[in-house]
Amino acid sequence: MSGRRTITLIAWREIRERLRSRVFLYSTLLMLVLVGAAGALPAFIDTTKTYEVAVVAPAPPGLAAALNRAATPLDARVRLDAYPATAARERLKADKVDAVLDLRGDRIAFRESIDPKLGAIVDNAIRVVRGHVRPAPELTPVTIEKVTTSSTDAEVLTAMLGASLLLGTIAVYGQWVLTGVVEEKANRVVEVIVAAVRPRHLLAGKVIGIGLLGLAQVALIGGLTAILLAAGLFDAPTSLGGSVALLVPWFALGFALYAVAYAAAGAIASRTQDASSAGMPVTYTLLAAFFLGYIVLSVDASSGLAHLLTIFPLTAPLVLPARSALVGVPAWEHALALVVVLATIYALVRLAGRVYGAGLLRSGPRLDVRAAIRLARHP
Amino acid sequence: MLRIDSATKRFGDAPALTDCSFAVPRGRMVGFLGPNGAGKTTAMRAIFALVELDAGEVLWNGCPIGFSERLRFGYMPEERGLYPRMPVGEQVAYFGRLHGLSAVAARTAARRWLERLDLADREAANVDELSHGNQQRAQLAAALVHEPDLLVLDEPFAGLDPLAVQTLADVLHDEARRGAAVLFSSHQLDLVEGICEAVVIIDHGRVVATGDVDDLRRRSQHRLIALQLAGAPPGWLPATPGVELVERRNGTLRLAANRDVDPERVLAAAEEAGDVIHFSYGPPSLGELFLELVTR
Repeated sequence: MSGRRTITLIAWREIRERLRSRVFLYSTLLMLVLVGAAGALPAFIDTTKTYEVAVVAPAPPGLAAALNRAATPLDARVRLDAYPATAARERLKADKVDAVLDLRGDRIAFRESIDPKLGAIVDNAIRVVRGHVRPAPELTPVTIEKVTTSSTDAEVLTAMLGASLLLGTIAVYGQWVLTGVVEEKANRVVEVIVAAVRPRHLLAGKVIGIGLLGLAQVALIGGLTAILLAAGLFDAPTSLGGSVALLVPWFALGFALYAVAYAAAGAIASRTQDASSAGMPVTYTLLAAFFLGYIVLSVDASSGLAHLLTIFPLTAPLVLPARSALVGVPAWEHALALVVVLATIYALVRLAGRVYGAGLLRSGPRLDVRAAIRLARHP
Repeated sequence: MLRIDSATKRFGDAPALTDCSFAVPRGRMVGFLGPNGAGKTTAMRAIFALVELDAGEVLWNGCPIGFSERLRFGYMPEERGLYPRMPVGEQVAYFGRLHGLSAVAARTAARRWLERLDLADREAANVDELSHGNQQRAQLAAALVHEPDLLVLDEPFAGLDPLAVQTLADVLHDEARRGAAVLFSSHQLDLVEGICEAVVIIDHGRVVATGDVDDLRRRSQHRLIALQLAGAPPGWLPATPGVELVERRNGTLRLAANRDVDPERVLAAAEEAGDVIHFSYGPPSLGELFLELVTR
């Protein structure tokens, strides 16, 4: 019988068994509801934004009223105060106002990034006040400080939630692999199976079956989030949808990496009670990768260390999508990370596959890692 | 034909199999006997490469066994192994598919076996909802579903009620008649004597006897005599050389005689001592033979 057919059979069994337990269905539904609720939330809360605008004195009559008339359809309010030029500029620098309107120079000045919504409101209001209907803008938007590359709240949130989703799903589905392997060993069904099936096919089927479930979950949640983002339902740049979509392939890669290690850990344990302690080194590695990535990215997502963690195989699956949301990742780095992670998966499958094969038929006390590797070398 | 050839295996310092050789031809049912720890399970696991032999080999039709051969084998381990939270019917069919059956063939065969083993009404139940005996039947169905050429069953009769024992014995007979080589281990020697023609007896990892049950019994150096006497002096024993007392129970003497002892002489001595109510002479039963072989 071909290996692929065996692997498919085993993967299908895993999927059917997990779907029978309903944990998968309920957790997926719950997360979809949460994402949907987050998307629908802004519709239920008052999102009217109040802009503080300083106008270089003197302010033309009727400007404040015109501003608010222009702002209302855009769900905004404008509070206008007049200041002398230097005072207005000081207030903008100190971030006490959102913009300074200088009508002598026909300019609207922002601090470091232009707010197109406020720009449009003010421009419309000025046309009304001046009675103009010409197509070109009345005002030139300018900024008074250089744009820094600090990420927006939405980007940080996307990076954070994306990495957490990956950590959570890789850990949960990795644990499924671990306990699945230990249970098969503990109830001896593994003996009947490996009498007819090569251990590496059993390993592959198990990892692929459980991985597909995880992938489906991440794809549903990530997909819904990406769609909501792209549709502009979240108060976030629509370009973040791409970073969210990255979660799906990187779940597959990260899961493959860690699940194989979990399977090997499961194979060196004999009893279900040993399962969690056997999986501990893998779980700790996963957590360390997450927190290391989190700390390094929060300090400076463009640092050399951040670049390194983007391509380091154990951290890449968690760090790459997060960095992509924060500061963007160039194509060559994507490619390099992919190659490095795939190479690591290949090497790990070979090593862990042998530990798994050698450990499967062994009963008795749990092996330590060194003994397991010895066993893999000389079964 | 399955042939185990000079199989040797040690676990640390403890020898599990020492130069162990025997064969199971197709169409035969062979009982595999031995005291606890004799190496039966190790030998059976070696057939499926679940233990790696230190020396010797396991052959099927004269060739070493690989995965493709093992797809045509069925195995029921001593420690039963099924997925606890998987429906019985689906599980049996799954094992059929792992052994190469198509989806339809596996489902059909699973249903047929569950009916044969009186489990059809439990087809949709999870394995962990079944009684011990029914789990055993499910395990048997999983070993049989793909019509194996070789069937290896480790203690298949353990824990079964007499009715289930009869069903299982019939099934194994039918499997052998179909052409499968059937090897099963058991401690129930009377049962083995009743249902199989051939046995392999193993002790301390060595084969101490192998062949037809009747042949082995006949070839024994001993014969058993049962004798019931009325009016004999208490404690009477025949003075015939080569005859020893095995036990005295409820007025019946059980004697072991060397094969060359003439039973007529024992009978004549008994008739002199009292009235003979019962006299029987014959080769030892399989159980007696077993004790004779493994306690040496």
